[in-house]
Amino acid sequence: MTWYLVRRLNLFIATSCVMLMVLFYVTHLFPVSPAVALSGIADPSPSQQQVITQAYSLNSNIISQFIAYVQNRLSGDFGVSLTSHHPISQELFVVLPASFELAVIAGLIALVVGIPIGVLASFNHHKMTQNVIVATTLTGYSLPVFWIGLMLAHWFGIQQDWLPVSGQINLLYEIKPVTGFLVIDSLLASKQYGMSAFYDALQHIILPAVTLSILPLTVVIRITRSAMQNVMSQTYIRAAEARGLHTGQIIIKHALPNALIPVFKQLGVMLGPFASYAILVEVSFAWPGVGYWLVSGIYQRDYTVIQGGVFVVALLIIFLNILIDVIHSLVNPITKKELYGQN
Amino acid sequence: MARIRIYQDDAIPSPTKRTWMAFSSNPFALIGLWLLFVLVFVMLFGELLAPFPPELQDPNALLLPPSWDQSGTVTHFFGTDELGRDILSRVLHGTHLTFGLSLIVVVAALIIGFLLGSLSGMMSGIKSSILGHLLDALLSIPSLILAMLVVAVLGAGLENVFWAVGLALVPQFVRAIHQAIHEELQKEYVTAARLDGANSLQIYWYVIMPNVWDIVIIQVTLALSVAVLDIAALGFLNLGAQAPSPEWGAMVMQGTEHFLIAPWTVTIPGVAILITVLAINLVGDGLRSALSPQRN
Amino acid sequence: MMKLARNRFILVLAVCLSLITLSGCQPQNVPIGLVYCSEGNPESFNPQIVTLGTTIDASSHQIYNHLIEYDVTTGKVSPSLATSWQVSKDGKVYTFKLRKGVKFHRAQWFTPSRNFNALDVLFSFNRIIRADNPYHDVSATGYPFFQSIGFQSLVKDISAPDLYTVTFTLNRPDASFLANLASDFAVVLSQEYADFLLKAGTPQRIDQFAIGTGPFVLKQYVKNEYIRYQRNNDYWGKRTVIEHLVFDITRKNSQRLAKLLTDDCGVSALPKPLELKVANQYPHVQIQQQRGMNVAFWAFNTLKPPFDDPEVRQALAMAINKSDILSVVYRQTAVEADSILPPASWAHSINPTHQGYNPVKAKQILQKKGLTNLRMNILTMPTARTYNPNPVKTAQLIQADLAKVGIKAHIHSNDWRVLSKKLNRSQYDSVLLGWNADNSDPDNFFSPFLSCAALKSNNNRSQWCDTKFDSILEQAKTVTDQADRKKLYQKAEMLLSEQMPLVPLAHSNRIILKRTDIKGVKLASYGGISFAKAYHNKEQND
Repeated sequence: MTWYLVRRLNLFIATSCVMLMVLFYVTHLFPVSPAVALSGIADPSPSQQQVITQAYSLNSNIISQFIAYVQNRLSGDFGVSLTSHHPISQELFVVLPASFELAVIAGLIALVVGIPIGVLASFNHHKMTQNVIVATTLTGYSLPVFWIGLMLAHWFGIQQDWLPVSGQINLLYEIKPVTGFLVIDSLLASKQYGMSAFYDALQHIILPAVTLSILPLTVVIRITRSAMQNVMSQTYIRAAEARGLHTGQIIIKHALPNALIPVFKQLGVMLGPFASYAILVEVSFAWPGVGYWLVSGIYQRDYTVIQGGVFVVALLIIFLNILIDVIHSLVNPITKKELYGQN
Repeated sequence: MARIRIYQDDAIPSPTKRTWMAFSSNPFALIGLWLLFVLVFVMLFGELLAPFPPELQDPNALLLPPSWDQSGTVTHFFGTDELGRDILSRVLHGTHLTFGLSLIVVVAALIIGFLLGSLSGMMSGIKSSILGHLLDALLSIPSLILAMLVVAVLGAGLENVFWAVGLALVPQFVRAIHQAIHEELQKEYVTAARLDGANSLQIYWYVIMPNVWDIVIIQVTLALSVAVLDIAALGFLNLGAQAPSPEWGAMVMQGTEHFLIAPWTVTIPGVAILITVLAINLVGDGLRSALSPQRN
Repeated sequence: MMKLARNRFILVLAVCLSLITLSGCQPQNVPIGLVYCSEGNPESFNPQIVTLGTTIDASSHQIYNHLIEYDVTTGKVSPSLATSWQVSKDGKVYTFKLRKGVKFHRAQWFTPSRNFNALDVLFSFNRIIRADNPYHDVSATGYPFFQSIGFQSLVKDISAPDLYTVTFTLNRPDASFLANLASDFAVVLSQEYADFLLKAGTPQRIDQFAIGTGPFVLKQYVKNEYIRYQRNNDYWGKRTVIEHLVFDITRKNSQRLAKLLTDDCGVSALPKPLELKVANQYPHVQIQQQRGMNVAFWAFNTLKPPFDDPEVRQALAMAINKSDILSVVYRQTAVEADSILPPASWAHSINPTHQGYNPVKAKQILQKKGLTNLRMNILTMPTARTYNPNPVKTAQLIQADLAKVGIKAHIHSNDWRVLSKKLNRSQYDSVLLGWNADNSDPDNFFSPFLSCAALKSNNNRSQWCDTKFDSILEQAKTVTDQADRKKLYQKAEMLLSEQMPLVPLAHSNRIILKRTDIKGVKLASYGGISFAKAYHNKEQND
């Protein structure tokens, strides 16, 4: 097991290193001088220029430049934003929790709604039901998320006046960030505002979270359904049936835990597309997360923001992928054997 | 000499035919295939079908609703946008950009990905491992972010979208082909062929490749739907096709400005994207299930 | 409103029921304040160093005060930080008596130890005019407004005979001097804060973490998201009613409208004219409209051939159908521009040399010049401006008009930060921009973006410098008689239509959308927005 974990850690470090190289290469492609692209100070004074040159070893060869770059980035120094002049790390601290909040809630919706539907669907062998499920999940998979976001906002926000369609909370509430998750923080701020801030935050998150949950929801339904069908035909289930166990008990205790393993695995595969979707959802609903921040950075040619955003998102995905991999093999020892053989 | 048939023996269908039979027994997949044919037809002849040029502005017909609305007219079947441009014509012309471009991008990415994937797949040891890490790193950047990174370097515009989406797709092809070849290489029939004295090239082309084509085909359909969605998403973010272009994502973006007054300027191009991606996914899904019994 | 309230109630009820274990339900408890949906990020919080309207809105009337102010109703200057002033007979010496007991903001980043006095005025203006001031070079963008009006060469000396008197000595009389001091750009900063920052070694913070004397204290700015202000409880004037002011930065106009409709903001900036139709359907939304002192124009890069030829520029001007732009982009919220000065200005006169839409003649001229296959680019921006609610649409209409005379135009739409960089490097053929006046003086429509001085300060987007034109402007500034000035400005306008460095397109109305229960938002024909007198009308609420 230790050997396996070391291998995973090794993979994480190697992949991150390659990604850093790619990003380092990209900084030299931006149409500004490397000093500006790396530090984010647009018109450095001679003394600042000297500090930047030293910090990033701009006068020495490319390898020591890269090492200096890695040192800076890993110590959390991403330079300052070209537009706001605030440190990038500080801005990331503001926008990252908002993205997490949206992603976690969307993921929860997908799991809580998707798994029961998938299980129920696996029992229905009626041709019609199967076709309906295939059709709806494929449609959900094919929806351009920015478009469906707009449509939902139009129907439920404007026409029905039910839900706010933009932003995270009514900005008159001044919520002190404690956990960074606004839904929780607004609850903590109930001394000041009562519950109204919490309801407001909750109302704001519904539409973006539902929109973002469409993709994982369809995937979860599909995978749960096929995994359930697969598991239910196994002999140990039949053995359990033969022993006269209650069907509900069989499903929850015997079948579901095994059926959920591929669902879990699929979550890792889905991370990349999910992140792409999250960016589009954040832009459509003006949700102040990493995606919205990154896209604004591109509009404003804020090169330090672009680097910081891509770095953090990619690093998170690498990390989560490996984490899911590790957890997956912990709960499912069979896979470990395969993983030794290849990388 | 005529063969005497004692038993009623059906001709054993070839693998291709078997796949087709499995595929065509799936009504959804057939619908998708027909939709794809229509799309290709529209892409090739859309300019002839369109009643108006895509950028023709008619100041007398601003924001006309679609024909099924009470105040709509048949001349502008899908209505007009805020500059009085015919939406039907724009959607037809947009097929070129959104669907046509994604076809070209996928073909280009396939060729490059295929070459790189084959090379790396046949390699082993440290070189293969380094390449694997490089691919893992590139794949960990979501395709949209990678495309955005390219746009940030090159600037917005449809011609840069080609590079952006292409660069995002290549690693996926390389990875899929690399893994498929690697998997096949470890199987026993390859060892058997090697023992028969086949060299690497022969093994690659005659032994492994016939079993990798399935993966390639499935990967193409996946890449195609990703390409359409990414091109449209970049257009929507105003990082891809620029303002007057009838690219579907850009049309949605332009429509959002008047969404409350003229929802059809957003709905119609959005439905066009949905139908295209759905058709691709239906075909892809059909192919996957048609091919899967052979693979397992 | 009722429907909204009911639906909200049902929803809140549903949520409450689901959370009944967590806590009981309490009534709505929104803090007293105002959310303004603004159109973009400010570049900084100091209007001295910018010309962008968004930055002015976020700073000039919220955080700062000026020496003197414009009274919107009378159109005359009125006291602000200066209580009275005198002008010497030769019009060269201006003496201001300053207000006593004015406190600077107390913010997280600075606590003032003394009240406002003459030293602050000296610092604020010396920073602009004296190169030896340690803060002069802190601004990377320079002082575009002051440079373009030649402020540095106009002011000989600023002195303070005592702590509450300031004297400006000019090199020559200038009829627009008081108007320029009352403009949005001439704010008063704190000298004590400047010294404090200099000692701390972070002088550049002065423009970002602003300290002023105005009705609101800057509290927090999160890029792309919001700017938070708090009421200045020590304000020398009438204390504001609203305690919190928030600028909700919302780039997309459709989102601004949606936020207004769902009550996430109380006032919303720059609606598209078509959206007024939607706003009319909602009883809780009100449209506030005001004739604007602005001009939208299409400027040519006159350094670049073939646009260095006035005849070519005239041909291009004739190729544009302005009435199309008016009906499609502005929809009755603007007047067509024949000249730079809007009809609302007292100096406006009918331009006798104005040429209308004439594509046939335009084509003839172009053919004569051998420009049958001309390609050009049009720079523009994706965000609405006071003078143009939809620059990209305008560009598309111009593109279509140009295609009719055989010119292939490319549109490049960039964010302001990117656009201004391209403009400063003069990498363009033409650009769609405009000017929003800061004061009622007609000079404000010429010097800031058409003079040779403006060319140096990177504000002259036509890259056009004509000494004859400049001398007319100089003359018009020294003359004090209105009728004489009017004649001079007519002469300037005629020269402009002859040279055509830019094509004036429209004079737009200023429009904001607001909730019906919010009153007292000051929207003048010129200058930035002010929330100092805004309040909620409780009776009308619900």
